[in-house]
Amino acid sequence: MATYEVFLKKDGKDEFRHAGALDAANDEIALVMARESYARRAEGNLIWVANRNNIVVGDDAFVGANTDKPHRHHDGKAVAARRKQQREESNPT
Amino acid sequence: MTALRNYLLTFADDEHLMGQQHVEWIGVAPFLEEDLAFSSIGQDELGHAVMLYELVLGLDDIEPTDTAIDALAYRRSGDEYRSSAFVEYGTTDWAEALVRHWIYDMVEQLRWNLVTASSFTALAVVASRAEREETFHRRHADALLDKLLATPGSDACARLLEALDALVPMLSTLLEPPAEESQILSEGVASASLASLHLPAITAINERFGTNYGTSDGVPGTAHRQTRSAAFDPLMTRMCEVLDLDPEASW
Repeated sequence: MATYEVFLKKDGKDEFRHAGALDAANDEIALVMARESYARRAEGNLIWVANRNNIVVGDDAFVGANTDKPHRHHDGKAVAARRKQQREESNPT
Repeated sequence: MTALRNYLLTFADDEHLMGQQHVEWIGVAPFLEEDLAFSSIGQDELGHAVMLYELVLGLDDIEPTDTAIDALAYRRSGDEYRSSAFVEYGTTDWAEALVRHWIYDMVEQLRWNLVTASSFTALAVVASRAEREETFHRRHADALLDKLLATPGSDACARLLEALDALVPMLSTLLEPPAEESQILSEGVASASLASLHLPAITAINERFGTNYGTSDGVPGTAHRQTRSAAFDPLMTRMCEVLDLDPEASW
């Protein structure tokens, strides 16, 4: 058995959206079960089922926001002060 | 009129009882998604029965209200039904349920094909509407069987073949034509006898399961579906369990 992620698309310009997941013994059974589990009330007219093992995963350690890098952060005060100075110099009162 | 009514009831009652048997698996099928899929397929069959019962009510000159359809579906006596033992048969064995699902839908396709060019045009319309759903039913059954039959000699194979041995003899009742079917054929309502599906059905079964059933297996009966099997009354009791709590209730 493998876990499959199910995506549905409605007719029109909507994109595929994640609908849920299910376990199935193979691709065909996954597709058949996804149709009845997630689309039997016309929630969409196209289905993708993706074996979770085939999904390329970016995990939290790689993707998650790094909140500990003050060397990359500034509060803009230095820029604001410099631009203010430039304005005053070009428009002397 | 009687011949046509009988013919419609034969199909409608099979669809009705087969649908009921399928939906009874909700909550107890082998896995959650199958609960949903199998009972959804059962509901499709019940929908086909409704369309056919509406045609019967039209012949009876009765307006096809929900109440009238319910009366026809649930409130006849056993001898007024034209269902087959194949669909009346009660089972709690999943292998039998799955094999029956496959056989029934394989035969159902052949049955609809008999009336897709019917001189009774309302029936031809019902046939094309129903057949659109049947493509999925067959794909569902085949998807499970492809997987379960993939390893010859496996426990799954053994159970399915055992179920098949129990069900093939009952095929004779599913292929049993109603009374006065010849009139239906001469009027162009159906293109061939229900009994003519015997060889195609046996061939399809052998191809699907790798078996060697012959022309002497599941031979169509000749009793014109006049009597019900022993399984009919218990099935009807289950079906009407809630309805019988308060027969006057408005649904």
